[in-house]
Amino acid sequence: MNAPFFKYGYFGDDLSLVVAFIIGIGFGFFLERAGFGSAKKLTAQFYFTDMSVFKVMFSAIVTAMIGLYYLGVLGLLNLSLVYLTPTYLIPQIIGGLILGIGFVIGGYCPGTSCVAVSTGKIDALVFLIGVIGGIFVFGEVFPLLKVFYYSSNMGNLTLPQLFNIPYGLVVFLVVLMAIGGFMGAEYVEKKMKK
Amino acid sequence: MKNLFGQLSLNQKIAVVTLLLGLIAIFAGNPYQGNYTRIDAKEIALIVQKELDHITAEELADWIIKEKSDFRLIDLRSENEFSEYHIPKAENIQLIDLNNYTFLPTEKIILYSEGGIHSAQAWFLMIARGYKNVYMLKGGLDEWKEKILFPIISENATPDEIKNFERIKEVSRYFGGSPQTGKIEDIRVKKELPKLEMPAQGSPQTGTQKKKKKEGC
Repeated sequence: MNAPFFKYGYFGDDLSLVVAFIIGIGFGFFLERAGFGSAKKLTAQFYFTDMSVFKVMFSAIVTAMIGLYYLGVLGLLNLSLVYLTPTYLIPQIIGGLILGIGFVIGGYCPGTSCVAVSTGKIDALVFLIGVIGGIFVFGEVFPLLKVFYYSSNMGNLTLPQLFNIPYGLVVFLVVLMAIGGFMGAEYVEKKMKK
Repeated sequence: MKNLFGQLSLNQKIAVVTLLLGLIAIFAGNPYQGNYTRIDAKEIALIVQKELDHITAEELADWIIKEKSDFRLIDLRSENEFSEYHIPKAENIQLIDLNNYTFLPTEKIILYSEGGIHSAQAWFLMIARGYKNVYMLKGGLDEWKEKILFPIISENATPDEIKNFERIKEVSRYFGGSPQTGKIEDIRVKKELPKLEMPAQGSPQTGTQKKKKKEGC
């Protein structure tokens, strides 16, 4: 067991900011390389003419899942120390819908808007100002939303716990889902482009 | 076979490898190494040493009188003991059930038991589960009875102590206790636990209570 590095104290708070910066640059670089600095490319996802967003994101999920799973099995990573976002079902569904609506209207999600700003896109800059305004408004009205925000708390729920099936089986099923999803995406793309 | 694999496109190769890794995963077992949690021993030791892990009976009494509502008071004793007497506003959750109970991460939780042992153990379990805002009532219900419900002042108390006791008496009466004067050995009065009702809210007694408390601080 020697990971996660931060929780095992291999580096402190100061160095963690440097690490976060490097990972952030890397994340932004690959988003840009995938073409996600373009609102046209991103919104094409919602018209099913270009499924890149789906393919890139699902590839990332599957890669991370298989990586974390095998590192855990090999004893190199203590999975119980990896942060899980607690499930607050209803607020998260509503939040996801709001994010999706913003994504379709604005052409960016929060991360990709930062990427697009760095390549000098004006629409992304406007979008980012909106994001910051939204964060400010949310912070101000949070006391009113607090009860809803913390409602339907289901704790740190994972799929193996929820369906009560072995962890490895979930890995396999998600892989099947991904491959099926990719084939479906290719099919839809061809159909919509005709 | 090798030839066949070579003919696939890069995407198809990746898909095949991923599928294989997924298949192996079914039989590779659980990636969580046992059902344990890690605690930061030094952090906990520091909290305990700095006495940041508990509140006193007086503090709790003060909070209840001031009608603070930013905390949850958890009584860890059995249902019978709880129904016989409990501190106003307390909820009854047994130690064994506490493990399956989910609190909000922001909630301030005060634990108490008869003495201090069970609450200390429960405190440790809660900290191990990652709750940060957990405290225990110092000395448990025993100290609550001694300090709040049945405070005693000895006959040969200094004037300062007597003055101070006036304030303690009011707090005690608020919670339905019975403060007593006299030599500690003389007091063998059967201590009647107060009935499970809070005094009427906003009674004149409460008003003077708050005033007195402020002077005391």
